[in-house]
Amino acid sequence: MIQTLDVISVNLWQILISLCNLVILFVLLKKFLYKPVKKILAQRQAEIDKQYADARDAKDSAELSRQEWDAKLKAADGEAEKIIKNAKEKAERQGDKIVSGAMTRADEIVRQAEADASLELKRAQDDIKREIVTVSTALTEKMLEREINEKDHRALIDSFIEDIDDDGNE
Amino acid sequence: MNKRGRLFKTVDILLIALMIAPVLCAIVLKVLTTPASDGITITGARIYFEIPMPIQNLIITESQINSWLVMISIFALCLYFTHGLSVRSPSKRQHIAEWIVEKVDGLVNGNMGESFASFAPFIASIIALSAFSSLLSLFGLYPPTSDINIVAGWAILVFALITYYKFKCGPVNYLKSFAEPIALTPLNVISEVATPISMAFRHYGNVLSGSVIAVLIAHALQGLSRLVLGWLPGVLGEIPFLQIGLPAILSVYFDIFSGCLQAYIFAMLTMMYVSGAFPAEKYEERKKIKEKRKQQKKNSQQNLEVN
Repeated sequence: MIQTLDVISVNLWQILISLCNLVILFVLLKKFLYKPVKKILAQRQAEIDKQYADARDAKDSAELSRQEWDAKLKAADGEAEKIIKNAKEKAERQGDKIVSGAMTRADEIVRQAEADASLELKRAQDDIKREIVTVSTALTEKMLEREINEKDHRALIDSFIEDIDDDGNE
Repeated sequence: MNKRGRLFKTVDILLIALMIAPVLCAIVLKVLTTPASDGITITGARIYFEIPMPIQNLIITESQINSWLVMISIFALCLYFTHGLSVRSPSKRQHIAEWIVEKVDGLVNGNMGESFASFAPFIASIIALSAFSSLLSLFGLYPPTSDINIVAGWAILVFALITYYKFKCGPVNYLKSFAEPIALTPLNVISEVATPISMAFRHYGNVLSGSVIAVLIAHALQGLSRLVLGWLPGVLGEIPFLQIGLPAILSVYFDIFSGCLQAYIFAMLTMMYVSGAFPAEKYEERKKIKEKRKQQKKNSQQNLEVN
């Protein structure tokens, strides 16, 4: 026949055993549940931290290279502007040179033309003068029908024409 | 899962078997040793054998055996949960294991503070042992928590921890706290000693009363159905129809809800008492004092060296 305990019965050894049971279970849980799970969690955390750090590094380096390229681009822009400015200046200088060359040449041509014209005028005047002299001499010869001193005559007509000339110029 | 191979699966199955086997063993043992009886018998645990020891004989009872079997089950469950952990692709059971660990950690941190973080496995083991022990009654087994000896063992362990931490705060302070108003010294001593007793009796009483009420109601319903339906011919009259239903609902309350609630309460009280015995501020204070002493020692050593 199997005996049973009373509903309330205290047994020191049983209490001790149950106390030990709890301690044993504590050790078991700590060793077989907590340790592995904590290890895994720590590993995961470490991995996540590493990935974050990697991402941050990549971002930093990207930012750095972007700044570098920005600087380079700015430098290139400046260079291009300088080149254009130089080219403009050079072109302007050259243009000025060409224009001034053309100007002087034109002036020279004008002066030459003026000189030519005045020379021509003078020659024409001389021609006219001579013509008039000749014509008037012939006229006078015809009118007077006599030979006059050609030398005196020429001087007279010259002075006359000189007068006319002066009158015309006034 | 498919990648893990046959060995992994075999180990899994073994672990699950190791979880279930203790319960089956207990049921078999119970069936083999239970004499057929009809009357109401509310007794303590069944005695399997006695070992003569000094002071008192060591009695190995149903509650001892059952609590060992529960421990084996919990151990197997732990192994099962932590079998094949992986950092990258956690399985379902790993999620559960992590959830349990994080929840208990959160509970301990919330109630006891950071300085008691190492208490988490202890709290987890209290909850597991108490809850699973109480849940054994679902299988019709004797729940070890309805034996005062088992629960008293835990309560005494908790009392030892409380006293240890109070001593850690300073033995003089500890002794002084008893004579705070000198007139009330005996009351202080009694209240200190009452802590483990009340913890043990609260847990034990709740679980035991649950099973007592369940037995009483079951038997009452049997009697009632015999009275009401006894006129039915033959075997039909013998079947206690009224026992269907109500005892199951009561079992949900007394076995599942009450068992888990008592486990939670026991764990909460443990946390409260232990952390109350050793407040975080005092912990910090002592730490600072210790560091200061170390610093002073270092400084004096350096001075000596300089001189």
